[in-house]
Formats: sequence, structure tokens, C-alpha cells
Amino acid sequence: MSAVWPVARAAVRRRRVQTVVIGVVVLLSTTMIVVALGLLAASSGPFDHAYAKQSGSQLTASYDRSKVTDAQLTAAARSAAAVAGPFAQATLELDRTQLMDSLVTVGRADPGGAVDRLNVWKGRWATKPGEIVLNRNPVDKEGRGGPELNGTMTAGGQTLTIVGFAYSVSQSADAWVTPEQMNALHPTATQMLYRFAHAATNADVTAGQQGVTAGLPSDALIGTQSYLALRAMAAGEPNTFVPFLMVFGWLGLAVAVLIVANVVSGAVVAGFKHIGVLKSLGFTPTQVMTVYLGMISIPAVVGCAAGVALGNVLATSLLTRAFENYGAGGLGVPIWVDIATLLGVPALVALSALLPALRARSLSAAQAISAGSAPRAGRGLRVQRSLSGTRLPRAVSLGLGMPFARPGRTALTLAAVVLGVTSVTLAVGLGKSLTTYQTAASRADAVDLTMFAGQSGGEGEAPPGAPPGAKLTDAEDEAVLRATPGVTSVAASTDMGMRLPGTRTDVRVSFYRGDFDQLGYRILAGRWFDGPGQVVVSERFLRQRGLALGDTITLQSRGKSVRAQIVGKAMYNSGDEALSNWATLALIAPELRANLYEVNVKPGTDLDAVVKAVQAKDSGLEETPGQDPGTFVAVVLATVVLLTLMLGTVAALGVFNTVVLNTRERRRDLGMLKSIGMTPAQVTAMVVTSMTAVGAVGGLLGIPLGIAAHRLVVPAMANGAQIELPDFMLEVYPAGLLALLVVAGIVIAAAGAYFPARTAARATIAEVLHNE
Amino acid sequence: MTEDNGQAVVQLTAVRKDYGESAALDGVSLEIHAGEAVAVMGPSGSGKSTLLSMVAGLDRPTSGSVIVHGDDLGTLDEKGLALFRRRRIGMIFQFFNLLDDLSALDNVALAAQLTGTSAAHARKRALELFEELGIAGRRNTYPAQLSGGERQRVAVARALMNRPAILLADEPTGALDTRAGEQVMDLLLDLNQIGQTLLLVTHDQQLATRCASRVIDFLDGQIAGERSLERTP
Repeated sequence: MSAVWPVARAAVRRRRVQTVVIGVVVLLSTTMIVVALGLLAASSGPFDHAYAKQSGSQLTASYDRSKVTDAQLTAAARSAAAVAGPFAQATLELDRTQLMDSLVTVGRADPGGAVDRLNVWKGRWATKPGEIVLNRNPVDKEGRGGPELNGTMTAGGQTLTIVGFAYSVSQSADAWVTPEQMNALHPTATQMLYRFAHAATNADVTAGQQGVTAGLPSDALIGTQSYLALRAMAAGEPNTFVPFLMVFGWLGLAVAVLIVANVVSGAVVAGFKHIGVLKSLGFTPTQVMTVYLGMISIPAVVGCAAGVALGNVLATSLLTRAFENYGAGGLGVPIWVDIATLLGVPALVALSALLPALRARSLSAAQAISAGSAPRAGRGLRVQRSLSGTRLPRAVSLGLGMPFARPGRTALTLAAVVLGVTSVTLAVGLGKSLTTYQTAASRADAVDLTMFAGQSGGEGEAPPGAPPGAKLTDAEDEAVLRATPGVTSVAASTDMGMRLPGTRTDVRVSFYRGDFDQLGYRILAGRWFDGPGQVVVSERFLRQRGLALGDTITLQSRGKSVRAQIVGKAMYNSGDEALSNWATLALIAPELRANLYEVNVKPGTDLDAVVKAVQAKDSGLEETPGQDPGTFVAVVLATVVLLTLMLGTVAALGVFNTVVLNTRERRRDLGMLKSIGMTPAQVTAMVVTSMTAVGAVGGLLGIPLGIAAHRLVVPAMANGAQIELPDFMLEVYPAGLLALLVVAGIVIAAAGAYFPARTAARATIAEVLHNE
Repeated sequence: MTEDNGQAVVQLTAVRKDYGESAALDGVSLEIHAGEAVAVMGPSGSGKSTLLSMVAGLDRPTSGSVIVHGDDLGTLDEKGLALFRRRRIGMIFQFFNLLDDLSALDNVALAAQLTGTSAAHARKRALELFEELGIAGRRNTYPAQLSGGERQRVAVARALMNRPAILLADEPTGALDTRAGEQVMDLLLDLNQIGQTLLLVTHDQQLATRCASRVIDFLDGQIAGERSLERTP
């Protein structure tokens, strides 16, 4: 083999352009694969690790203390694999100087136990009344003015000293006190934490819940939280990226394989004489094959190694961002992904080079040497003959016939263009679906004017720096708005932070009255509320809580509870927001006034004039910016655009490589054409035309594949992001766009062909023509 | 075939061409008149083919001037040189340089089509040449199926397609057997006798003696000698 290495190395040096093309293409596709596999493999890893370490609660349940006793709960919990509790629980209202509205507080004697072993990472556990331990992730930044160790806070009317910070990955409470202290806080609920023998699926958890609630009064259970919902919430962001990263990664790898096959078969064809010389020198057939495999393995291995490194950097950055709340510092791509990629990608590349390398292996020395000098038999003759009689400029008709001279190479190039167009089609559709969704979900532009009325009444003093409040009453303000010329609809609303029993996160409920059906919300299932005790929520809200349309939830605030039925599912992003009506608000806080008026006007109405007219009646009403579309979709779109550019570049490099091979092989032909008067521009036009025809066909074939990929990827992304997309958001390819996408194939091909074509047009031809 | 018999069709003045450190042509000056048949001879590397490239506008001199049929090639850009070759030059090569993908007729018609002539007219003119050169029966054949002599006749037909001011031939019999070589020699002689200006580059003394009226000997990039010949039949 000692003779093989220098020859392979020399082959690499001789084909610098192709070597760079292979290296870059393998690098880009490997990067995409590593990021996608890394996200896929690690998308719930940090959560699972933290959960296992703390023996996290698989079902956190809250029971009404007035309906069920601790003894009943303990007895019923026998079917669980492990239990913690019963713990007394209260939702404590905080005074307005605190950052949070309320605090789900549980009485626990110690942080350990069979379930939900808390990590007391700062200070100590509460050991006597008057002490409180807050739930906070060690990686969370401490905001200015936030609670500090040994500080005090007023909760439930009592002043408590913060003696420690603990972290519960189960999110079982906001804070813990001793059981004695809890008794003084007048608990209203009892918390039970369960682990089950089987809890891999929602059905398992539901079965477990049925087991531990069997025999209990039917209305005793007031709230549950499944760890699967927390897990889904944790994996939501990476899971949105995975589907399209995987598709783009595989597309990139497929293009890389095509390019490698093209490069090696081109090298074999162009190097017949070279192969003959090697064999006449005494190289064995296997050594010759090894030379050709080595020629592409060198850039493939280098590109793959660089791609793995780059992929790790990108994936780690995405994962760290997504999982920092689970202590994901140092989180990275699993080592098996790196190893599999480092072995798999070069192997795949080598495999794609194997066929042409085997061809080199099987050529006899005499055959190879004579093949290098004998004139080639013409190919694609019928096509050339019919093209020569057309009215097209001769440079164009010659170019159109060129792809038929090497049908195998053309097929490989065509496949690369097809994949490039598939990527562009997918990316364009993805972009359109996402922006359509984002516009609909964020209600951007759905409301013409938003007027802010200051803090809701009845809540005491407004914080310092808050805008001045409305001067008129709620009803008067609404009447003023409705009477303003040009106004067509007014929806009044106020919102409150509320809790679902058994959960730690606040649900922000917006209570509407008036023309709320004009606010741009799209109802995906069910209907709008039409009476008290009804809510409309998002798909994400339902999934994160394991709820369904028709279920009833309990919302708590200000020491009051209201049961509300989920009557509709609306399109919006947040999983922590619910929509309800004024009639439901009246059950909890009838004293509140609307603090926001969302107004629509007739087309052509001067909004400034409307604002002035309203403020002339109530100077306390302020115009406020409307809905912010958010940044997540922008991040996804930027990633998609980046990947599309990468894949478009990769496909164009495939064309570039083919044109380099073609023009080198046809150097003599090009020289002859120039010798009989073909201008450089005509040579460029001929060579570019040869590939634009391939690009046009590639466009026609790639578009249906791209649309099919869009149909697979977008629903998978929506599933990962826990949102529901209506069918019309998948219908994003109008005829005009399809025509433009055909142009994408032509642009990819023309871009890839232009530079080698220009180089060929400028080449010195004298030498080529005078020597064989 | 040219209209200006006796005029200088090619005029080289102090032409020098360097490739790196070495000079392929070193101060060459010569004239070729309309209707002349000039053979350039010399050992390999003496600068013969470089001279041909200069006259054809395929390459540019490092210094000196090349004027062909009134066109100062030093003043032309790449496109200008292409148009010059299209109108003024016909070239034939040792290895024919035909396009394998085109039939013999299409190879020849191509030269006219590049000037904007329609496909039908180009084929008609090509067919006339095929008949003149005695290869009309092979017009629809592809280069790979032609003999060496036939391929060179097709190449000659292509070179004559646009009625060039000068026909340049680089070792036109170098890749042919004796019989085919003689046929090509006869063809070139016939062309010269009807007025076609010829510039041959050759190692072949017999070709030079038979076709050329003047021989220029090259050595190390310079004109080493010049002689007039009585053509031998």
C-alpha cells in the first residue's frame, strides 16, 4: 500500500477544486446531521436525568381537604410504586410589592422522601414556624428586587423569613414551610406525589391516576400535573427544530453522495490513461481502486471531522438555550452521535465512490491506455442532430445537447439539483406556513388600535411609574370608544394571574366583553364562550396539562375558585394563557374594570384622529402597541433560510463540479469551437445553457418532492411545538409560486455553471488544439 | 478564393512570445501574400505552432505586432479575436478536432451557424463543400465512424466554410497513413491552386515540397532560413 498513498495524495492535489467541493459539501451536510441527531437524542435528556435524580413526581395531585381525609388518600395510594404526602397545601396571595401574584405553598417536614427529593442548594430547610423555603432553579438569574436569603416576605398575611432555596424538577410547589406553619396558613388542599410502575405514556399515567383515586369521592380531586406534560414543555423548542433539521441534513447528505459519485466517476473517465499507466507500472487492480477511494476519502474525512466539530458547537448552543432551566450546563451532543457520524458519513461517501472505483479496478491496462486516446463515439446523437436544425442560436442548441453526451453524469447532477429544489420548495413552504401561523396566532395586524386604561380598579395603589389610570368609568370609556366616528368594534378586557390547583405556574386569564370575536382569534375547535364558567384555550395549554375540549378546570385567585369548562380551542401560541368572558370574571372579581380596549375601525379611518377624539373625552386612556409577533418563529425562519442557502450552495456545487468535469473533458472541443470563431460569451452561454436545461427539469421534479416534504415536516414541527395547524396553512403553494420555484432550479444550475463556464471561455486554447 | 492576390495577408513584425523564462518566438518578422502557400518547418519546440497560434489569434504576442488581412490583432479584445477567426481564419489540426457528438455535416455547418447563418443555408453550403471534397456520401456519418483521411477532409471543409482569408494547417498529415496523407496533400494543393492562401506547419518535407511555394525554417524561436520551392507533383 506504500505506493498507493502518494498516488492518492497526488490525485487530491491534482483535483483541488473537486477536493474542496467534496470537503465543503460533506462539512455542511455533516453539520446539519449532527445538529439534528444531537437535538433529537438530547431533546429530553436533561429533563429525564434531573427527574431520575430527584425521583420526580410522575403525577402531582391536589385534593379538596373538605372532601377527603389524609387517611383516605394514604389508603388509596397503595397502587402507586412510590408516594410522598399527604402534604397540606395553600395558594397564598402575595402583597403587590412581590414579583409573583401568588405562591403555591406546601407543608413538608423535610426535603427528602420517596418522591420529589428536593435539592436544597442554598441555605437550609425550614425547621420551625415563620420560615419558608422558595423553589428556585440554581441556574436562574436572580432579578433585582427578587427574594433573597434571610430576607422576609408577606404571604397569606404572615411574615416569613426565607431560610433556603430548593429546586423541584417536578414543579410541585413554589415554596415550602413546616407542617405546623402550614396549619397557620389555613390550607385548602392536600398534595399527593406519586410514581407508578408504568408511566411512559399518557395512558399509563391516566391508569395510575385511576388507581390512586379509586374509592375516593368523585369531586375530591381538584387538579393534577403529569410529568409528561412537563417533559413535553421542556422538549418543545428542540422538538420544533428536529423535523426540519433532519430533513435538511439527509437532503444535504444525499447531495454529498451524488457529488462524490459524480467526482469519482468523472475522475475515472478522465483518468483512463492514468489508470492504464498505473497498471502498466505494476499497480494491482485493488491498489488502483484504493487510489480512487483514497482520493475522495481524504476530503470526506476532513470535511466530516470539521462538520462534527461545528455541529457540536451549534447543537450545544441550541440545547443550552433550551434546557438551561434543567441544569443543562455542559450539555452537548451524545458521544454516540459523534462516533456514528464520524464513521457513517465517510463510509457512505466511500460507498458512493465504490462503483466507479470498481470500474477503474476492472479496466485492463491496454484498454485503459487506448481509451485515453481514441476518439469517443458520439452520444446523444439523435438529440444533437435534431437540435442542430432548430432556429435556436447555435451556442444554445449545442449547450442543450451537451447533457446527453454523458447521461450518467447528467443524471447525478440532475438528482443534486432536484434535491436542491426540494430544499428550496420545502423552505419556502415552511416559511409561508410559519409566517401565516405566526400572523394568525399573534393576531398581528388584527386590531387597529389598542387603548390602555391603566391598572384595573379595585387592586389598591398602582406601582410607582405605572401609567395614569382612566378618568371615566369602564362603561363610560367603552361608550366613548363606540361613539367615536369610524370605530366598528370594541372589545374590552382585563387579565388576572390565576392558578390551576396542583400546578405551580400561573395561568394568565384574559376576560373579554364586547366584540371579542373581531380580535382575530381563530377558533380551531369548539366555540366561543357564551356564559359564565367557560374558557377558550390553546392547543399547547391542553397538551401541557393533558386536558381536552369539554374538560372542566378549576381556576383560583384571590382566595376564590371558579370551575370553568373548556368550550373552545383557539389559535395562539401561549400554553399559559386562557380566554374567558366578563360573566366568568364576575364570579371571582366583579369589582375589576377593563384595562384594555381593542378597537377596529373602518378602512381609511385616521387612527390618530380616533385617538385624539377618545383622549379628548378621557385623557387617562393611552394608546399602546398591539400584539408582538415574538421571536421564536423568526429564529426558526432564520435557521431555515440559512439551511436553504447551505443546501442551495451544496446543489450549486454539484453543478459546479459537473461543469468543471465537463469542461475539462471537452477542453479540446471548446478550443476547437473558439478556433472557428465562438466568442467567450457564446462559450459561456453554451456551457450555462447545458446546465440550465438540467436545472429546469430538476425544478419540475424537485417541486413535488419539496411539497411532499413540507406535508411531512410542518405537521411534525407543529406536533413538536405543541400547536395545531389548520389544513389551509399547508396550502401555501399557489401557481405563481410554483413557477418561481422552477426558476429556483434554473438559478441553482446557472449559478453553479457560470464560473467554470467563464473559466472555460477564457482558457488558452492554442496548446489544447495542437496536442492530443 | 481570396480577392487580393499579391497583397500581404499576414504581416508579423518583431514578434516575441515568452512562456515564463523561455522565448517561444524571438523577434520574428515575416509576410505572407495572398495566394501563397507557405510551409513552416523546424524541430519540435522551435516555435512553429506558436507562430500559427499568433496568426490565428489564439494567443497574443508578448511584444511585436501581428496584422492579418488588415486587422491588427493586438488591438482586438477576446470577442474581436473570435469574430476575426470566424471571418478570416480556417484551421485544420493534426488530430482533426471534430465534435464527436455532431455528424460530419453538422460539424462543418457549425462554422457558418456561428456567424448567424440559418441551419438550412449552412447545411446547403456544407453539402457543396462535401461534394467538392469528395465526401458527400459520408455527410451523415459521425467522426468516430470516419477514417483518418475522411476526418481530415471534414476538418478542411469546416475550415473553408466561411471562405477564410488564410487557411492554417498544423501538421495536417501527421496523424494519417501514407495514402490518406497524400489525399490531403492533393486537396491542399488544389485549394492553393484556386487561390487559397495557405500557411502549413509541418515536419513533413514531402508535404512542404508538394504543397508550398516557400519554406520558412524555424530554430529556437527564430527564422533560421527561408527558401522558395519548385512544387513537385
